[in-house]
Amino acid sequence: MEGPRSDETLLVGVAERDIGAFRVLYERHAGWLALRLARRCNDRDLVADAVQDTFVAVWQKPRGFRGDGDIAAWLWGIAIRRLVSRLRRRTDVAAMFESTATTPAAEDQVLLSVEHGDLGAALARLSPEMRAVIQAVVLDGLSAKEAAQLLHVPVSSVKTRLYRAKAQLRATLAEGLS
Amino acid sequence: MTGWHVDDETLRHYVERTDSMAEGASVEQHLLTCAQCRARVNTAATAVDSTMVDLAAVWDRTRDAVEVPRPSVFERLLRAAGIPAHEARLVAAASAFRGVWLVGVAAVLAFAAVAAMIGHARGLWLFLAVAPVAPCLVVAFSYDRRWDPALEPEMVTPYPALRLILLRTIAVLAVALPAVLLLGLFVPGEAPFAWLLPAVGFVAVVLAASTWVSPLNAAMAVSTVWLLTVWRLAARSASPTAVLQPRTQVAFLVLAAASFATFLVRRRHLHQLRPWR
Repeated sequence: MEGPRSDETLLVGVAERDIGAFRVLYERHAGWLALRLARRCNDRDLVADAVQDTFVAVWQKPRGFRGDGDIAAWLWGIAIRRLVSRLRRRTDVAAMFESTATTPAAEDQVLLSVEHGDLGAALARLSPEMRAVIQAVVLDGLSAKEAAQLLHVPVSSVKTRLYRAKAQLRATLAEGLS
Repeated sequence: MTGWHVDDETLRHYVERTDSMAEGASVEQHLLTCAQCRARVNTAATAVDSTMVDLAAVWDRTRDAVEVPRPSVFERLLRAAGIPAHEARLVAAASAFRGVWLVGVAAVLAFAAVAAMIGHARGLWLFLAVAPVAPCLVVAFSYDRRWDPALEPEMVTPYPALRLILLRTIAVLAVALPAVLLLGLFVPGEAPFAWLLPAVGFVAVVLAASTWVSPLNAAMAVSTVWLLTVWRLAARSASPTAVLQPRTQVAFLVLAAASFATFLVRRRHLHQLRPWR
Protein backbone atom coordinates (compact mmCIF):
# COMPACT_ATOMS: atom_id res chain seq x y z
CA MET A 1 0.00 0.00 0.00
CA GLU A 2 1.18 3.48 -0.75
CA GLY A 3 0.03 5.45 2.31
CA PRO A 4 -3.36 6.99 2.96
CA ARG A 5 -5.63 7.55 -0.01
CA SER A 6 -6.23 11.09 -1.18
CA ASP A 7 -9.67 12.69 -0.92
CA GLU A 8 -9.94 12.56 -4.69
CA THR A 9 -9.32 8.80 -4.71
CA LEU A 10 -11.88 8.35 -1.95
CA LEU A 11 -14.43 10.32 -3.93
CA VAL A 12 -13.86 8.05 -6.91
CA GLY A 13 -14.46 5.14 -4.55
CA VAL A 14 -17.70 6.76 -3.35
CA ALA A 15 -18.82 7.15 -6.96
CA GLU A 16 -18.23 3.40 -7.33
CA ARG A 17 -20.45 2.82 -4.27
CA ASP A 18 -17.56 1.87 -1.99
CA ILE A 19 -18.98 2.34 1.51
CA GLY A 20 -15.50 1.87 2.99
CA ALA A 21 -14.14 4.85 1.07
CA PHE A 22 -17.23 6.79 2.09
CA ARG A 23 -16.55 6.01 5.73
CA VAL A 24 -12.94 7.19 5.51
CA LEU A 25 -14.10 10.40 3.85
CA TYR A 26 -16.65 10.87 6.63
CA GLU A 27 -14.10 10.33 9.36
CA ARG A 28 -11.70 12.74 7.72
CA HIS A 29 -14.20 15.57 7.27
CA ALA A 30 -17.23 15.20 9.52
CA GLY A 31 -15.38 16.49 12.59
CA TRP A 32 -14.20 19.85 11.40
CA LEU A 33 -17.38 20.37 9.35
CA ALA A 34 -19.54 19.77 12.42
CA LEU A 35 -17.37 22.06 14.50
CA ARG A 36 -17.49 24.83 11.95
CA LEU A 37 -21.25 24.46 11.54
CA ALA A 38 -21.68 24.47 15.31
CA ARG A 39 -20.06 27.91 15.40
CA ARG A 40 -22.93 29.11 13.23
CA CYS A 41 -25.82 27.35 14.87
CA ASN A 42 -26.13 26.46 18.51
CA ASP A 43 -28.68 23.69 17.99
CA ARG A 44 -26.68 20.49 18.13
CA ASP A 45 -29.35 18.30 16.53
CA LEU A 46 -29.67 20.68 13.63
CA VAL A 47 -25.91 20.61 13.07
CA ALA A 48 -25.98 16.80 13.20
CA ASP A 49 -28.78 16.79 10.61
CA ALA A 50 -26.84 19.16 8.37
CA VAL A 51 -23.73 16.94 8.57
CA GLN A 52 -25.83 13.90 7.71
CA ASP A 53 -27.49 15.74 4.81
CA THR A 54 -24.08 16.78 3.55
CA PHE A 55 -22.71 13.27 3.38
CA VAL A 56 -25.91 11.82 1.96
CA ALA A 57 -25.62 14.46 -0.77
CA VAL A 58 -22.00 13.47 -1.36
CA TRP A 59 -23.01 9.82 -1.66
CA GLN A 60 -25.75 10.66 -4.11
CA LYS A 61 -23.73 13.07 -6.24
CA PRO A 62 -20.03 12.40 -5.81
CA ARG A 63 -19.44 13.74 -9.30
CA GLY A 64 -20.71 17.12 -8.18
CA PHE A 65 -17.07 17.84 -7.37
CA ARG A 66 -15.66 19.28 -10.55
CA GLY A 67 -12.06 18.91 -9.60
CA ASP A 68 -11.41 22.60 -9.06
CA GLY A 69 -9.90 23.46 -5.71
CA ASP A 70 -9.92 21.45 -2.54
CA ILE A 71 -12.52 18.80 -1.72
CA ALA A 72 -12.74 20.30 1.75
CA ALA A 73 -13.96 23.59 0.29
CA TRP A 74 -16.51 21.75 -1.83
CA LEU A 75 -17.76 19.88 1.25
CA TRP A 76 -18.04 23.09 3.22
CA GLY A 77 -20.07 24.66 0.42
CA ILE A 78 -22.53 21.77 0.64
CA ALA A 79 -22.57 21.73 4.43
CA ILE A 80 -23.33 25.41 4.98
CA ARG A 81 -26.13 25.28 2.41
CA ARG A 82 -27.60 22.17 4.04
CA LEU A 83 -27.56 24.05 7.33
CA VAL A 84 -29.29 26.99 5.67
CA SER A 85 -31.96 24.72 4.26
CA ARG A 86 -32.46 22.98 7.62
CA LEU A 87 -32.69 26.35 9.36
CA ARG A 88 -35.17 27.64 6.84
CA ARG A 89 -37.64 25.00 8.00
CA ARG A 90 -37.09 25.90 11.63
CA THR A 91 -38.13 29.34 12.70
CA ASP A 92 -37.44 28.67 16.36
CA VAL A 93 -33.69 28.28 15.94
CA ALA A 94 -31.70 31.23 14.72
CA ALA A 95 -28.20 31.07 13.43
CA MET A 96 -25.60 32.37 15.74
CA PHE A 97 -22.41 34.00 14.72
CA GLU A 98 -20.01 34.28 17.56
CA SER A 99 -22.61 36.22 19.51
CA THR A 100 -21.89 34.18 22.62
CA ALA A 101 -18.15 34.07 22.08
CA THR A 102 -16.43 35.36 25.14
CA THR A 103 -14.34 38.45 24.83
CA PRO A 104 -10.69 37.45 24.63
CA ALA A 105 -8.66 38.10 27.73
CA ALA A 106 -6.63 41.28 27.83
CA GLU A 107 -3.33 39.69 26.90
CA ASP A 108 -5.00 37.78 24.07
CA GLN A 109 -6.41 41.07 22.87
CA VAL A 110 -2.91 42.47 22.69
CA LEU A 111 -1.67 39.38 20.86
CA LEU A 112 -4.57 39.63 18.50
CA SER A 113 -3.95 43.19 17.56
CA VAL A 114 -0.35 42.24 16.90
CA GLU A 115 -1.44 39.29 14.84
CA HIS A 116 -4.29 40.76 12.91
CA GLY A 117 -3.49 44.42 13.14
CA ASP A 118 -6.33 46.86 12.96
CA LEU A 119 -8.64 44.50 11.10
CA GLY A 120 -9.22 42.28 14.15
CA ALA A 121 -10.06 45.29 16.25
CA ALA A 122 -12.22 46.78 13.54
CA LEU A 123 -14.19 43.55 13.25
CA ALA A 124 -14.58 43.39 17.00
CA ARG A 125 -16.18 46.82 16.98
CA LEU A 126 -18.96 45.74 14.63
CA SER A 127 -22.35 45.04 16.13
CA PRO A 128 -23.21 41.32 16.39
CA GLU A 129 -25.79 41.69 13.60
CA MET A 130 -23.26 43.23 11.23
CA ARG A 131 -20.62 40.67 12.15
CA ALA A 132 -23.08 37.87 11.38
CA VAL A 133 -23.74 39.29 7.94
CA ILE A 134 -20.03 39.79 7.21
CA GLN A 135 -19.35 36.24 8.32
CA ALA A 136 -22.12 34.72 6.21
CA VAL A 137 -21.54 36.70 3.05
CA VAL A 138 -17.85 37.55 3.02
CA LEU A 139 -16.29 34.63 4.87
CA ASP A 140 -18.72 31.78 4.16
CA GLY A 141 -19.42 32.86 0.61
CA LEU A 142 -23.20 32.70 0.86
CA SER A 143 -25.46 34.74 -1.39
CA ALA A 144 -27.51 37.52 0.18
CA LYS A 145 -30.58 35.31 -0.12
CA GLU A 146 -28.92 32.34 1.58
CA ALA A 147 -27.54 34.58 4.33
CA ALA A 148 -31.04 35.95 4.86
CA GLN A 149 -32.39 32.42 5.29
CA LEU A 150 -29.59 31.48 7.62
CA LEU A 151 -30.06 34.53 9.83
CA HIS A 152 -33.84 34.69 9.58
CA VAL A 153 -33.84 38.30 8.41
CA PRO A 154 -35.13 39.85 5.18
CA VAL A 155 -32.76 39.95 2.21
CA SER A 156 -32.93 43.75 2.26
CA SER A 157 -31.60 43.78 5.83
CA VAL A 158 -28.69 41.59 4.80
CA LYS A 159 -27.82 44.04 2.07
CA THR A 160 -28.09 47.17 4.22
CA ARG A 161 -26.19 45.57 7.09
CA LEU A 162 -23.46 44.41 4.74
CA TYR A 163 -23.20 47.89 3.25
CA ARG A 164 -23.06 49.56 6.66
CA ALA A 165 -20.61 47.00 8.02
CA LYS A 166 -18.24 47.60 5.13
CA ALA A 167 -18.56 51.35 5.56
CA GLN A 168 -17.85 51.06 9.26
CA LEU A 169 -14.86 48.79 8.70
CA ARG A 170 -13.48 51.20 6.14
CA ALA A 171 -13.93 54.13 8.50
CA THR A 172 -12.32 52.30 11.44
CA LEU A 173 -9.35 51.23 9.36
CA ALA A 174 -8.92 54.73 7.93
CA GLU A 175 -9.01 56.11 11.47
CA GLY A 176 -6.25 53.71 12.45
CA LEU A 177 -4.07 54.88 9.59
CA SER A 178 -4.29 58.53 10.34
CA MET B 1 1.40 24.15 0.71
CA THR B 2 2.98 27.01 2.51
CA GLY B 3 4.31 24.99 5.41
CA TRP B 4 2.45 27.30 7.75
CA HIS B 5 0.12 25.68 10.25
CA VAL B 6 -2.27 26.85 12.89
CA ASP B 7 -0.37 26.96 16.20
CA ASP B 8 -1.66 24.85 19.10
CA GLU B 9 -2.85 27.83 21.11
CA THR B 10 -4.96 29.26 18.29
CA LEU B 11 -6.28 25.82 17.49
CA ARG B 12 -7.39 25.36 21.09
CA HIS B 13 -9.12 28.76 21.04
CA TYR B 14 -10.85 27.81 17.82
CA VAL B 15 -12.11 24.47 19.10
CA GLU B 16 -13.20 25.95 22.42
CA ARG B 17 -14.72 28.90 20.62
CA THR B 18 -12.86 31.46 22.67
CA ASP B 19 -11.35 33.13 19.64
CA SER B 20 -12.20 36.37 17.93
CA MET B 21 -13.92 36.63 14.59
CA ALA B 22 -10.72 37.48 12.75
CA GLU B 23 -8.88 34.58 14.35
CA GLY B 24 -11.70 32.16 13.57
CA ALA B 25 -11.94 33.33 9.99
CA SER B 26 -8.21 32.88 9.47
CA VAL B 27 -8.29 29.37 10.95
CA GLU B 28 -11.26 28.42 8.81
CA GLN B 29 -9.66 29.66 5.62
CA HIS B 30 -6.55 27.65 6.40
CA LEU B 31 -8.56 24.50 7.23
CA LEU B 32 -10.04 24.44 3.75
CA THR B 33 -6.63 23.82 2.24
CA CYS B 34 -4.75 21.94 4.98
CA ALA B 35 -5.55 18.29 5.62
CA GLN B 36 -3.04 18.21 8.46
CA CYS B 37 -4.72 20.97 10.44
CA ARG B 38 -8.16 19.49 9.71
CA ALA B 39 -7.01 16.26 11.28
CA ARG B 40 -5.72 18.20 14.30
CA VAL B 41 -9.07 19.97 14.64
CA ASN B 42 -10.90 16.62 14.44
CA THR B 43 -8.76 15.19 17.22
CA ALA B 44 -8.96 18.29 19.37
CA ALA B 45 -12.72 18.47 18.92
CA THR B 46 -13.34 14.93 20.10
CA ALA B 47 -10.93 15.38 23.02
CA VAL B 48 -12.15 18.73 24.30
CA ASP B 49 -15.52 19.74 23.17
CA SER B 50 -18.64 18.72 24.98
CA THR B 51 -20.85 20.74 22.63
CA MET B 52 -19.71 18.58 19.75
CA VAL B 53 -22.28 16.47 17.93
CA ASP B 54 -22.17 12.68 18.26
CA LEU B 55 -20.34 11.87 15.05
CA ALA B 56 -20.64 8.10 15.45
CA ALA B 57 -24.43 8.38 15.67
CA VAL B 58 -24.51 10.71 12.68
CA TRP B 59 -22.43 8.19 10.74
CA ASP B 60 -24.90 5.41 11.56
CA ARG B 61 -27.79 7.53 10.36
CA THR B 62 -25.92 8.59 7.24
CA ARG B 63 -25.07 4.99 6.37
CA ASP B 64 -28.68 3.92 6.93
CA ALA B 65 -29.85 6.77 4.73
CA VAL B 66 -27.57 5.89 1.84
CA GLU B 67 -28.21 2.16 2.06
CA VAL B 68 -31.94 2.59 1.63
CA PRO B 69 -32.58 2.44 -2.11
CA ARG B 70 -33.00 5.87 -3.49
CA PRO B 71 -36.60 6.75 -4.35
CA SER B 72 -37.30 6.57 -8.05
CA VAL B 73 -37.48 9.74 -10.11
CA PHE B 74 -41.22 9.31 -10.23
CA GLU B 75 -41.52 8.98 -6.48
CA ARG B 76 -39.43 12.08 -5.96
CA LEU B 77 -41.63 13.96 -8.44
CA LEU B 78 -44.70 12.94 -6.45
CA ARG B 79 -43.07 14.13 -3.26
CA ALA B 80 -42.12 17.40 -4.86
CA ALA B 81 -45.77 17.75 -5.85
CA GLY B 82 -46.61 17.71 -2.15
CA ILE B 83 -47.68 14.09 -1.71
CA PRO B 84 -46.45 12.67 1.63
CA ALA B 85 -43.53 10.22 1.42
CA HIS B 86 -45.46 7.07 2.34
CA GLU B 87 -48.21 7.80 -0.17
CA ALA B 88 -45.66 8.59 -2.85
CA ARG B 89 -44.11 5.17 -2.23
CA LEU B 90 -47.46 3.38 -2.49
CA VAL B 91 -48.40 5.20 -5.65
CA ALA B 92 -45.02 4.67 -7.24
CA ALA B 93 -45.19 0.97 -6.37
CA ALA B 94 -47.95 0.51 -8.93
CA SER B 95 -46.77 -2.11 -11.34
CA ALA B 96 -47.29 0.21 -14.29
CA PHE B 97 -44.01 1.82 -13.33
CA ARG B 98 -42.02 -1.35 -13.46
CA GLY B 99 -42.36 -0.70 -17.11
CA VAL B 100 -42.24 -4.26 -18.41
CA TRP B 101 -45.68 -4.39 -19.79
CA LEU B 102 -46.10 -0.64 -20.17
CA VAL B 103 -43.52 -1.22 -22.88
CA GLY B 104 -45.88 -3.83 -24.32
CA VAL B 105 -48.77 -1.39 -24.40
CA ALA B 106 -46.52 1.25 -25.95
CA ALA B 107 -45.40 -1.25 -28.59
CA VAL B 108 -48.98 -2.07 -29.61
CA LEU B 109 -49.81 1.63 -29.76
CA ALA B 110 -46.67 2.40 -31.71
CA PHE B 111 -47.60 -0.33 -34.16
CA ALA B 112 -51.09 1.14 -34.57
CA ALA B 113 -49.71 4.67 -34.90
CA VAL B 114 -47.22 3.60 -37.56
CA ALA B 115 -49.97 1.78 -39.43
CA ALA B 116 -52.11 4.92 -39.35
CA MET B 117 -49.19 7.04 -40.46
CA ILE B 118 -48.58 4.91 -43.51
CA GLY B 119 -52.02 6.12 -44.50
CA HIS B 120 -54.11 3.01 -44.38
CA ALA B 121 -57.64 3.68 -43.24
CA ARG B 122 -57.31 0.38 -41.43
CA GLY B 123 -54.33 1.74 -39.53
CA LEU B 124 -56.41 4.65 -38.32
CA TRP B 125 -59.13 2.24 -37.25
CA LEU B 126 -56.57 0.17 -35.44
CA PHE B 127 -55.30 3.20 -33.55
CA LEU B 128 -58.81 4.25 -32.63
CA ALA B 129 -59.52 0.73 -31.46
CA VAL B 130 -56.46 0.43 -29.22
CA ALA B 131 -55.71 3.90 -27.88
CA PRO B 132 -58.94 4.51 -25.91
CA VAL B 133 -58.79 1.21 -24.04
CA ALA B 134 -55.05 1.27 -23.31
CA PRO B 135 -55.27 3.58 -20.25
CA CYS B 136 -58.07 1.61 -18.58
CA LEU B 137 -56.15 -1.64 -19.14
CA VAL B 138 -53.10 -0.01 -17.56
CA VAL B 139 -55.16 1.02 -14.55
CA ALA B 140 -56.78 -2.41 -14.23
CA PHE B 141 -53.46 -4.23 -14.42
CA SER B 142 -52.03 -1.96 -11.76
CA TYR B 143 -54.66 -3.38 -9.37
CA ASP B 144 -54.23 -7.00 -10.22
CA ARG B 145 -52.57 -8.99 -7.51
CA ARG B 146 -51.00 -11.48 -9.88
CA TRP B 147 -49.11 -8.68 -11.54
CA ASP B 148 -48.31 -6.56 -8.54
CA PRO B 149 -46.71 -8.14 -5.49
CA ALA B 150 -46.65 -4.69 -3.87
CA LEU B 151 -50.40 -4.87 -3.49
CA GLU B 152 -50.17 -7.45 -0.74
CA PRO B 153 -48.46 -5.42 1.99
CA GLU B 154 -50.04 -2.27 0.70
CA MET B 155 -53.58 -3.53 1.01
CA VAL B 156 -53.20 -4.75 4.55
CA THR B 157 -52.05 -1.35 5.73
CA PRO B 158 -55.04 0.49 7.15
CA TYR B 159 -55.44 3.27 4.72
CA PRO B 160 -58.28 5.23 3.16
CA ALA B 161 -58.82 3.01 0.12
CA LEU B 162 -60.61 5.62 -1.92
CA ARG B 163 -57.79 8.11 -1.68
CA LEU B 164 -55.19 5.50 -2.50
CA ILE B 165 -57.12 4.19 -5.49
CA LEU B 166 -57.68 7.65 -6.90
CA LEU B 167 -54.05 8.61 -6.34
CA ARG B 168 -52.87 5.48 -8.08
CA THR B 169 -55.26 5.90 -10.94
CA ILE B 170 -54.17 9.48 -11.46
CA ALA B 171 -50.53 8.43 -11.25
CA VAL B 172 -51.02 5.60 -13.74
CA LEU B 173 -52.84 7.91 -16.10
CA ALA B 174 -50.11 10.52 -15.70
CA VAL B 175 -47.72 7.96 -17.14
CA ALA B 176 -50.00 6.28 -19.67
CA LEU B 177 -51.73 9.31 -21.16
CA PRO B 178 -48.66 11.31 -22.24
CA ALA B 179 -47.19 8.18 -23.83
CA VAL B 180 -50.34 7.58 -25.85
CA LEU B 181 -50.70 11.28 -26.60
CA LEU B 182 -47.17 11.46 -27.93
CA LEU B 183 -47.77 8.52 -30.24
CA GLY B 184 -51.11 10.03 -31.26
CA LEU B 185 -49.28 13.04 -32.62
CA PHE B 186 -47.94 10.87 -35.40
CA VAL B 187 -51.41 9.84 -36.45
CA PRO B 188 -52.70 12.02 -39.29
CA GLY B 189 -55.90 14.03 -38.97
CA GLU B 190 -57.74 14.93 -35.81
CA ALA B 191 -57.55 11.40 -34.50
CA PRO B 192 -54.78 12.05 -31.94
CA PHE B 193 -57.17 13.64 -29.48
CA ALA B 194 -60.34 11.83 -30.41
CA TRP B 195 -59.63 8.98 -28.04
CA LEU B 196 -58.99 11.20 -24.98
CA LEU B 197 -62.59 11.41 -23.78
CA PRO B 198 -63.34 7.75 -24.55
CA ALA B 199 -60.18 6.82 -22.63
CA VAL B 200 -61.22 8.83 -19.57
CA GLY B 201 -64.73 7.41 -19.83
CA PHE B 202 -63.45 3.84 -19.91
CA VAL B 203 -61.21 4.37 -16.89
CA ALA B 204 -64.21 5.68 -14.98
CA VAL B 205 -66.28 2.69 -16.11
CA VAL B 206 -63.58 0.30 -14.91
CA LEU B 207 -63.42 2.03 -11.52
CA ALA B 208 -67.21 1.90 -11.20
CA ALA B 209 -67.44 -1.70 -12.38
CA SER B 210 -64.75 -2.77 -9.96
CA THR B 211 -67.22 -2.21 -7.13
CA TRP B 212 -68.87 -5.38 -8.51
CA VAL B 213 -66.22 -7.37 -10.36
CA SER B 214 -62.42 -7.41 -10.45
CA PRO B 215 -60.88 -4.43 -12.24
CA LEU B 216 -59.18 -6.68 -14.75
CA ASN B 217 -62.46 -8.37 -15.74
CA ALA B 218 -64.09 -4.97 -16.00
CA ALA B 219 -61.33 -3.68 -18.24
CA MET B 220 -61.50 -6.80 -20.40
CA ALA B 221 -65.24 -6.39 -20.81
CA VAL B 222 -64.93 -2.71 -21.66
CA SER B 223 -62.16 -3.45 -24.19
CA THR B 224 -64.17 -6.20 -25.82
CA VAL B 225 -67.27 -4.02 -26.18
CA TRP B 226 -65.20 -1.20 -27.60
CA LEU B 227 -63.35 -3.45 -30.05
CA LEU B 228 -66.65 -4.94 -31.24
CA THR B 229 -68.11 -1.46 -31.71
CA VAL B 230 -65.12 -0.26 -33.69
CA TRP B 231 -65.14 -3.46 -35.72
CA ARG B 232 -68.84 -3.08 -36.58
CA LEU B 233 -68.38 0.58 -37.52
CA ALA B 234 -65.47 -0.39 -39.75
CA ALA B 235 -67.47 -3.24 -41.28
CA ARG B 236 -70.26 -0.81 -42.11
CA SER B 237 -67.47 1.15 -43.81
CA ALA B 238 -68.36 4.23 -41.82
CA SER B 239 -65.59 6.82 -41.62
CA PRO B 240 -63.36 6.69 -38.53
CA THR B 241 -64.37 10.30 -37.95
CA ALA B 242 -67.74 9.03 -36.71
CA VAL B 243 -66.11 8.72 -33.30
CA LEU B 244 -64.91 12.28 -33.50
CA GLN B 245 -68.31 13.87 -33.81
CA PRO B 246 -69.12 16.29 -31.00
CA ARG B 247 -72.23 14.25 -30.21
CA THR B 248 -70.21 11.09 -29.60
CA GLN B 249 -67.70 13.03 -27.54
CA VAL B 250 -70.47 14.42 -25.34
CA ALA B 251 -71.77 10.89 -24.90
CA PHE B 252 -68.37 9.79 -23.65
CA LEU B 253 -68.23 12.76 -21.29
CA VAL B 254 -71.61 11.76 -19.85
CA LEU B 255 -70.39 8.17 -19.55
CA ALA B 256 -67.32 9.32 -17.65
CA ALA B 257 -69.33 11.52 -15.28
CA ALA B 258 -71.99 8.86 -14.64
CA SER B 259 -69.41 6.15 -14.00
CA PHE B 260 -67.43 8.31 -11.67
CA ALA B 261 -70.57 9.19 -9.74
CA THR B 262 -71.40 5.48 -9.48
CA PHE B 263 -67.89 4.79 -8.25
CA LEU B 264 -68.18 7.43 -5.53
CA VAL B 265 -71.63 6.26 -4.46
CA ARG B 266 -70.53 2.62 -4.28
CA ARG B 267 -67.13 3.26 -2.77
CA ARG B 268 -67.99 1.10 0.25
CA HIS B 269 -67.94 -1.88 -2.10
CA LEU B 270 -64.37 -1.38 -3.13
CA HIS B 271 -63.39 -4.86 -1.92
CA GLN B 272 -62.49 -5.85 -5.47
CA LEU B 273 -59.73 -3.30 -5.33
CA ARG B 274 -58.74 -4.50 -1.84
CA PRO B 275 -57.93 -8.14 -2.35
CA TRP B 276 -57.82 -9.12 1.34
CA ARG B 277 -61.66 -9.09 1.46
